[in-house]
Amino acid sequence: MADPIHLEYEVAADDYQAAGAASNSVKETLKMLGLPTAISRRAAIITYEAEMNLVIHGGGGKIVANIDEESVELMTIDEGPGIPDVEKAVQEGFTTAGDRAREMGFGAGMGLPNIKRNADVFEIFTEVGTGTTLRTVINLP
Amino acid sequence: MASVRISELCAEIDAKVHVPGDMDREVERAAVGDLLSFVMGSDADGAAWITVQTHLNVAAVAVLKDIPIIIIASGREPAADLFERCRAEGIALVSAAASVFDTCVKLGRLGISG
Ligand SMILES: Nc1ncnc2c1ncn2[C@@H]1O[C@H](COP(=O)(O)OP(=O)(O)OP(=O)(O)O)[C@@H](O)[C@H]1O
Ligand SMILES: [Mg+2]
Repeated sequence: MADPIHLEYEVAADDYQAAGAASNSVKETLKMLGLPTAISRRAAIITYEAEMNLVIHGGGGKIVANIDEESVELMTIDEGPGIPDVEKAVQEGFTTAGDRAREMGFGAGMGLPNIKRNADVFEIFTEVGTGTTLRTVINLP
Repeated sequence: MASVRISELCAEIDAKVHVPGDMDREVERAAVGDLLSFVMGSDADGAAWITVQTHLNVAAVAVLKDIPIIIIASGREPAADLFERCRAEGIALVSAAASVFDTCVKLGRLGISG
């Protein structure tokens, strides 16, 4: 892999129909680059959960992936409501998902825990009323 | 642990096949779940997935988890967009009249494990 790869996707608020499109593209790119399956699986989980959080909670936003020889960096950036209590939000089972999302099987409160478990670096920068940035890094073997 | 062809699995549970996918592919394991993040975070990779969810996002999870067959149990029918997406992705999509539990029991009889 000579040059670092930079990918960006726009995700619209409440767009359940497009869900998973960005995650799938990231996974396919990693596969194409010949990265180990274990890595692309972790990246798929992280991007999917982050993408769905943009759709459900973040009011839409952007997914950014940066891939180089050392790591896969996956970020989401939104200008949504922000997260008042991050410590609570990363606990398994915590959710503010509404009825519609829950009926569809979202709102288990497992997205952020899933992301954390699959990332070597996990950071949330958030401010209520301003938005949320999630940054994760998977180190490559 | 048995390897079971998807076609054989479908016959055992009396499945209605909506999208055949690759009927010759074999599965060894199955997973159950209706909470998408729960399935996403589980080790369902490559397993048959039994759920009562019927909407498009089921396919999104299946694609990311390399799940070759989605079994919608309890007599529920897939939404049209789930059908379309499974066809585009080559994922088998079937439904079973039996409950989730009864469907699992039948898969267990074939030697499929959790
Ligand atoms: N981008 C975001 N903007 C605002 N709030 C968020 C964002 N991401 C997560 N949250 C908050 O953190 C909570 C926990 O998120 P998490 O992904 O763990 O669970 P969930 O999305 O509610 O359910 P699941 O992911 O299991 O479907 C959410 O319910 C929401 O309150
Ligand atoms: Mg979530």
